[in-house]
Amino acid sequence: MTRPDADGSGHETSRLGMRAHKNAVGPNPGDGSTERVGNGLNPPPAGITPSSGRRMRNIRLVLVGGGVLLMAWGALVMFDSVRPARIPGVALWIAAAIVLHDGIVAPIVLAGGIALRRAGRRITGTVVVIVQSGIVVGSIVSLIAVPTLVAKNFAPANPTVLPLNYGLNLGIFWVVLAAVTVGLSVWAFLRGRHPAETFPDDSGR
Amino acid sequence: MMYEAQRALASPVRNPRMATVIGRLLGAAFLVCFGTGLYSHFLQEPQDWMRFATRPEYLYQVTQGTHIIAGIACFPLLLAKLYIVFPDLFAYPPLQGFVHFLERASIALFVGASLVQITIGLLNTYQWYPWPFPFRQVHFALGWVLIGLLVIHIGVKLPIIARYWSKSSGSGDDSGDDDHLVDAVSADRASHAEAVRLSGASRPGGVTGRVLDYIDATPQVTSRVSRRGFLTTVGVATTAVVGLTAGQTFTPLNAVNLFAPRKKGVGQQGVPVNRTSEQAKVADAAMASSWTLTLAVSGTERSFTRAELLALPQTEVRLPIACVEGWSQMANWRGVRLRDLAEMMNAAPETAFRLISLEQRGSFSKTQMGSEYVRDPLTLVALELNGETLDLEHGYPARMIAPGRPGVLQTKWLSRIEAIS
Repeated sequence: MTRPDADGSGHETSRLGMRAHKNAVGPNPGDGSTERVGNGLNPPPAGITPSSGRRMRNIRLVLVGGGVLLMAWGALVMFDSVRPARIPGVALWIAAAIVLHDGIVAPIVLAGGIALRRAGRRITGTVVVIVQSGIVVGSIVSLIAVPTLVAKNFAPANPTVLPLNYGLNLGIFWVVLAAVTVGLSVWAFLRGRHPAETFPDDSGR
Repeated sequence: MMYEAQRALASPVRNPRMATVIGRLLGAAFLVCFGTGLYSHFLQEPQDWMRFATRPEYLYQVTQGTHIIAGIACFPLLLAKLYIVFPDLFAYPPLQGFVHFLERASIALFVGASLVQITIGLLNTYQWYPWPFPFRQVHFALGWVLIGLLVIHIGVKLPIIARYWSKSSGSGDDSGDDDHLVDAVSADRASHAEAVRLSGASRPGGVTGRVLDYIDATPQVTSRVSRRGFLTTVGVATTAVVGLTAGQTFTPLNAVNLFAPRKKGVGQQGVPVNRTSEQAKVADAAMASSWTLTLAVSGTERSFTRAELLALPQTEVRLPIACVEGWSQMANWRGVRLRDLAEMMNAAPETAFRLISLEQRGSFSKTQMGSEYVRDPLTLVALELNGETLDLEHGYPARMIAPGRPGVLQTKWLSRIEAIS
């Protein structure tokens, strides 16, 4: 089984390997399943012996046990320093964080990714990924910048807290990001139109 | 249904190798936050036996600046990690016995507590507290809980982590075969087409079927482009959030400080302010002509007016004020060495002091200073800042400034300094 170039070092051999790999999957699922069995049932790689398996188990037990102790200490600190009436608030925030991420943010990200890929089905995969990256980077920077706008509305304790014009800065950031994203996309698109310069696996579908 | 959800979520970046790569960065960031957080905590609430380094004098600026920088870096890293392992949410069957339940419960708590921890930490730097619990205590307790959960998580996933730690150990292996993570290849449209053929259905029925069919009709981006794109995105996002905020403590990035809650040089006498005289309700007492600083050592008390303090030998030091919220500001301070005052009062060299502010309320109106800081030649009762009389907001008539201590311990509006017997 060939190994895709996970770190992006992009040497010629891995490009060729990638092509072979593409041919191997899909039409011939047997290849993948062989690999799966190979990883799952065959003797483990050199260096793993029954005794090192025991060692692994012992390390895991120590880690889990130690982790439970640390957690218990944290719970003790919590109950010792926070009034009991306030603790449900902590639990509520933790539960809300899970719901907010798993129930709202993650599905939106998923839907956005799919919509973008469908919208861009005629352009190369590289361009789609560049646009996706631009949107994600902008969203994450906005995630830490937008609270400054909200907090500033609550009249900060003094003028040296949140002194910048965060709205303007965020606008500038988005404009620069959009320009860079468009520039890179055009570059990737033009490169994609000249097959001689294209990576075999960059063409998308 | 759960399998189909997992299949729909499959992506070349959702594999155990990527989870290991991003996971260890996130784990390192958590450990850095925990270590620097503990250091800051014990500086503020020392055990009796604890002694702290007073050099380098920017030590706390570095540790706490790092705490905030690593915390901000956790936003892209944590979201990336959650993106990678999102299909695990739809593991089927949802529960396979009690141990599996415990594992999933610990993951849920880990995810929720991590998100809360970095969120309240970030909002604290904006001095915005929209939650129904005290920040400091909960942030500290959650730190322990999270490190415990991290250690448990590493223990549970150790075989996966060990196998995918280095690239050579079957990492880039596209089958990404793992019990928990969906491999990319199975998402291939071909397999779906085959499934449709086998089930004899020509058109998918029901809402779920239609949604999945829509997803399946989506063009796939090749694995390598996806993976490179993902890692680049995480790298760029992390660089952006760190680079555009770290200027509040790291001077070379001051010019691109777009989103930090503080800006170097912005504030009275070029120094940002945390607690104001209005919040502390000290303006009247501080501006009163009757103000004196009282030193008390083993039963002997002596009071100094500001003029008397100014008449003592003055020392000028260059020290940063470094806040627990992550910002810092270098400044020139001038005043009387605390060591000189202690010697004047015949205090023993090992004496620790209690610093008392004019402020009546507030958690840091009375604090302790270990003897290592008292003896340090850079520790001053400061009377001037950047060449001017100390501004009221910076602690006029007199404040403490010592090397390597958090801003909350650099007591403003000093009223009394007493030896702890």
